[in-house]
Formats: sequence, C-alpha cells, structure tokens
Amino acid sequence: MSRHIGSYPLPPYLKSKLLAGGFSTVEDLEDVKPVELSKELKISPEEALEVLRVVQGEQKDPSSASSPDDGVKTALDMLQEEREQGCIITFCSALDELLGGGVPLTKITEFCGAPGVGKTQMGMQLAIDVQIPSAFGGLGGEAVYIDTEGSFMVQRLEDMAKAAMEHCRHIATVENNREQLEAMANFTVEHILSRIHFYRVHDWVELVALVNILPEFLQQHPKVRLVVIDSIAFPFRHDFEDLSLRTRLLNGLAQNCIRLADSHKAAVVLVNQMTTKMGHSGDGQAHLVPALGESWGHASTIRVLLFWEAGCRYARLYKSPSREEATVPYQVTVAGIRDVCIPNNMQDLSTATKEEGDSLGEHSQRKRPRVS
Amino acid sequence: MSLRKLRRLGLEPELVDRLERHKKLSSCQDILEKIHLELLHLTNLTHSDVQKIVMTASRACAPTPTTALQMRQAGFSSGSTPFLSTSLPGLDQALHGGIPAGSVTEIAGPAGCGKTQFCIMLSVLATLPCEMGGLGGAVVYIDTESAFSAERLVEVAQGRCPQHFCSDDAFYKLTSQVYVHKTPTCTDLWNRLQCLEEELIEKRVRLVILDSVASVVRKEFDNSLRGNLSQRVKLLSKEAALLKYLAESLNIPVVVTNQITTRFNTSREGPHHDVLSGDLGAGNSAGASAAVDGGYVTAALGNTWSHSVNTRLIVQYLDDKYREVMVAKSPIAPFSSFVYTIQSSGIVLQDDETIRKWSERVATDPGLIPIKVRTMLGQGGGLVVP
Repeated sequence: MSRHIGSYPLPPYLKSKLLAGGFSTVEDLEDVKPVELSKELKISPEEALEVLRVVQGEQKDPSSASSPDDGVKTALDMLQEEREQGCIITFCSALDELLGGGVPLTKITEFCGAPGVGKTQMGMQLAIDVQIPSAFGGLGGEAVYIDTEGSFMVQRLEDMAKAAMEHCRHIATVENNREQLEAMANFTVEHILSRIHFYRVHDWVELVALVNILPEFLQQHPKVRLVVIDSIAFPFRHDFEDLSLRTRLLNGLAQNCIRLADSHKAAVVLVNQMTTKMGHSGDGQAHLVPALGESWGHASTIRVLLFWEAGCRYARLYKSPSREEATVPYQVTVAGIRDVCIPNNMQDLSTATKEEGDSLGEHSQRKRPRVS
Repeated sequence: MSLRKLRRLGLEPELVDRLERHKKLSSCQDILEKIHLELLHLTNLTHSDVQKIVMTASRACAPTPTTALQMRQAGFSSGSTPFLSTSLPGLDQALHGGIPAGSVTEIAGPAGCGKTQFCIMLSVLATLPCEMGGLGGAVVYIDTESAFSAERLVEVAQGRCPQHFCSDDAFYKLTSQVYVHKTPTCTDLWNRLQCLEEELIEKRVRLVILDSVASVVRKEFDNSLRGNLSQRVKLLSKEAALLKYLAESLNIPVVVTNQITTRFNTSREGPHHDVLSGDLGAGNSAGASAAVDGGYVTAALGNTWSHSVNTRLIVQYLDDKYREVMVAKSPIAPFSSFVYTIQSSGIVLQDDETIRKWSERVATDPGLIPIKVRTMLGQGGGLVVP
C-alpha cells in the first residue's frame, strides 16, 4: 500500500514541496496533523488540510471515517430546529410567557416548590397539554409520568382532562374550523388518559433502573414528548448515609435525562422539593432552598421556583439560558393551572375572591387562556 | 424489588458466581449504584457486556407502566373504592369521595381540637360494610399518646349509625376489628411499623391510623442540637416512605395526626422553635396571643415532613364551640374549609349558615398556615387570631 505521492491528484507545486520535505509515500503522511504539515512545508493550513484529505480520504474506508462534521450543528441549524420544535403550554399565559412559550422540548425543566403549591398539578397539567392536537397548535404527543410520591390521582387528572377538552372544543366551535372540529373527535378524556403512561416508583433503585430502560420504551412509543418525574427528591431524601453515592447517582440520572431529552425530542420535567438551610454567616437565618444540594442545581437547564406570597401562588424563573429572571402569578383551579385574573377595580377584586371560594366542587367556566 | 438477586435474572451462572464471590455484587442494587467505569474495573468485562448486565438488572427492577385510562378502569372494576368516605358531605365532595386510599393523609391541629375524634370516627367508618360506604375491613390504630378510648369508639358508632349498631353482635364485630398498638417511644414505633406489612395482610386491614406521628419524635429529639434535627428529619422520612409503601402496595388509606408548633419569622432561636401544643393554652392563660414575638402557630415537624404527606387537613378552633377543618394540601382538591362541632356521634359539619359567619380564607402555603388555638382553657373566647 505504499502508493507514491506523485500518483495523487494534487497540484504540482504541492507535490514538489511534499517530495522536497521527504514525503514520498502515503505512510509518510500517516498521523501527520495539518498544522504540522503546513509548518514543515511552509504552505497554508488550508493547503495542508487539502493534501491530507486527498491522500487519507482515498486510503481510509469512508464508512469508518469519522469526519469532524459528525455531531456538529451550526447555530443556524439549531435556531431552525428550536423554532420548529414548539413548546408544551401550561394553560397559564403568564407562565408560558415567562418560559418563552411554554416548557421547551429537548431540555430539562425543574419545578421546585413548597408542599401544596401545585407541583404535582403542574406535572399533570403538562401531561395533558402535551397531547393538544396539532390543529390547535399543540404537539399531539404522549406523556410518561413517573410518580415517586404517590400523589398522582387519576380522578384529578380526569377533571383537568375534561376541562382541557372542553376548552379546545370551545375554540373549535367559536372559530368554526373544520380541521379543529375533526381533531376534537379524537381528543376525548379516554383518549387523553390512554396516552399518559404511568410508572409508580418506590425507591431510588427502581428510579435509576427505570431511567436506564426508558430509552427502549420511548423507542416503542415514539410519540412521547414529555417525561415527568414527580418528584426527583423524595427517593433520595431518606436512607442515604453515603452522600457521595447520592451525588453520583443523581449525576448519572441527570446525564441519562439529558440524553433522553435530546435523542427523543422530549421535554423532561423534574419536580423537586424544598429544604431548609441555615445561613452561612452564622446569623441563624434559615432559608428555603431547592433540595438535593448545590451540585444538583447544574442538572436542569431551566429552573422554576413555585412559592406562596400573601395568599397567591407565584412562579419565578430561577435559571434559564435564554429568558430573563422574572416572577408571575398563577392559580390552581378545578380545571387546572390557570392565569390569575387581574382585577381592574375593587368590584372585580371581590368577584375574583368570591370565585375562588365558589370554584370548589363545580366546573368553573371561567375565562381560560387561549391555546393557540 | 431492588434487592432482587442477580442469580434470578437469567444471567450466565458462571458470571453470577464470579460477581458474587469476588466482587460482593449479589443484588440489582449493587449493580445499579456503581457507575460503568467501576463495573468495568470490578468485573473485568468488556463495555458491551457490562452494559448488558446493567440493562438486565434495570429491566428486573423497573416498574411496569400502566396508562391513566387503565388505572381508572381498574378503580372501577376492582370494587374497592379508592376513597374512605368521611361521612361529612362537604369534605367528601371536596376530596372527590373522602380520604384517598394508597396515600398518606395528615390531620394537623392544636390539642383538643378533634384530631383523635377524627381518627376514632374514621375507624368506625372503615369497619362498616362496603354497602354502607365503609371499607369492610379491620383497622390498625397506632396510639403514641394513649389517647384512644374504646368507650368513645362505641359511643361514636352508636351516634353515627344507630340502625346498624343495634345489637351486641355489631359492637362485638366493631371492637374486635380495631387493633390498637401502644408505642410510647420512637423505637417502639419504628419496630411496629416495620412488621406492619404482615399484620395488614393477615388481618385484612383496610385502614391504618397513626396518632400521632409528632409526639414521640418531639419528646425524644431535642432540636437545640443541630445533629438531632437532621436525625429527626431522617427518621421521619423513613417512616413516611414506609407508610407510603404500605398504603400504595395494599391500596389502603393511611391517616396520621400531627401537632402544631410556633414559628418565628425572625429566627433568633433557630428555624422553628417547637413548643408543645399544650403549653400554649396553659402558659398564656392571660389571653396573650401566640402571635407575639413575630411568631405564629403552624403544623409541626418542618418542611421535609410537609412534603412527605400527600394530603394535609388542618383543624383549628373558631370559638369554644365551633372548629374548622381546612383542606390545606391535596393533589385532588382545591383549598377549602368547613366548620364543624364535636358531638357524641363524632365530628358533625355545620350548615352553610354557620360557615358563612366565618370569613372566607384564601389559600396559602400549607406548611405555614397559621392555626388558631384556644388561649383560655374552659372559659371560651380569648381566641388568638394571628
């Protein structure tokens, strides 16, 4: 295989430089880097690269050749993909705005919050919203819901699914859009419930195992666009003497989630608890911070903090690569996660609080944010 | 499932032998807690072989999926209701049918407000046959405060369903189906919880009550030492995980009661300085409110425990006669509240008229809800409104 340099389709001046530099056969050029070659022969790096491409490209088996272009995307490609991908809306327009259109696909979004603030409700709402038909600008996908806490209530899910369905039907009838009306024929409560794949996990071993085999499941169910883990914290908050083991397991879990999100174009939503932390300065001040420690903070791309203030629920964007930090109010009604109606005057205020009380036990037909 | 032996996974016996003997890898958990590099190092196998072992172990451990639709249909077909009716119409409606099976429900509130009454009433209801809205099974009542009274149980039963409890036979059936365990210390409680699984299956238990989860840990753990606090959180988390596991795997409701604590906004003495609930009433008998020093009364045991319960009901005093129960945290119900009184038949909800007398409350963080307590014992009035 010692083919002579002269037999390659190279311009004569390069051939003569190669020969003058002592490179006469293919073996001589093996393992030579472009910059090295350009320095030695006093040619430009581009010319050196071309020489190597021509010579080695013929020699190597093209299927095994790992071109440096593999796995690289330009920002232009990514921009296009991101635009096409779409988001999972939350049915709270303020929250969607905060997140830049909703919970993004291929990313990990973490919701942290105090007990009872609506984290599980958020997870269930997203599991329904990911299924909104494409005629309404939704994703028409399916959801995987991993419950570690036992808070998943199918009765509650049914209520929220019913509300989402009625909302979509309302839009379709008002706009009298044929495509949307046809889509509604399939968008029933049974349909929604049958497309939420539910796992009940009892300890961290089961969770780690499940995340390991989840890629197989997603291959069989290619329409899954959302994976909810509610919550990531509970299995890791007891029975851990060895904290380094915990950190290692969590890191592995986060890695697998990122891979899952990326390769299956799915959004991964992690629910996290809050924990009390003493201040560093010894002032004895205690703060509520997301559980699982500092290093876990790197795991999720987007972090949203849910909290109470003066009887209203708020969501604060805590970490995001693309959006500004901000705080918006939201509420949890019988129908699910919704916007807070902003009162114009005192009259509105009183009806708003009255509505809150009335919302119990009946399906409120309140204004809901538009889907599309 | 996590301790499942590698031997049963259908791997090559030779490989399993080697892993067990030399590397102390015998269960799936041992495999899954190692990272790939460690396993490569330990097993001396190729990457793809290690990958194969990890995937086999994962498949053995991972739970199987169901769809929400299947869950709903299973709920309909199995006949066992997913809820235990509290026989309080308003509360049942808010909770979609009552105390949810398969999860942990907490009742928190000040001393003497009716937590134990709630538990006794639920015990009676759970023993009722299914046709009468009960669960038709036995009850395990874990009593850490020695507050359970069999006489009261009979009285409530009589008051609730006079037509059912008209013969000695019915009372015999009721009382022989409520198993009361007294566990005065943390160790007792933990031991009892650990061997509960067998008992629940053997005696066909349909309801577990733990009254109260707070008293033993608060007696035994002194919070002024920092190490103690984390020990306490750890113990409580373990208890919560076990109770959840029992509730979930046997599909029964688990009810725990919790005490209250005083929280200070400006924490000079740590995050939440615990005050035993009884002290508040007796100590501040001059009508001084519990809200002094910028503190307020709320459910005890801290934030991590609040995460651990699935549903939280809070009971509080309104005046010497009326009390209020609030749905403070629930995956299924919005925030709502109901006024009740305690009568000989147990908890009795009041009509809309009485409820309207008390102003509407707005929802807030269930870990921080201020709870009204009685400050003057026996004299009525003197309420603390934080």
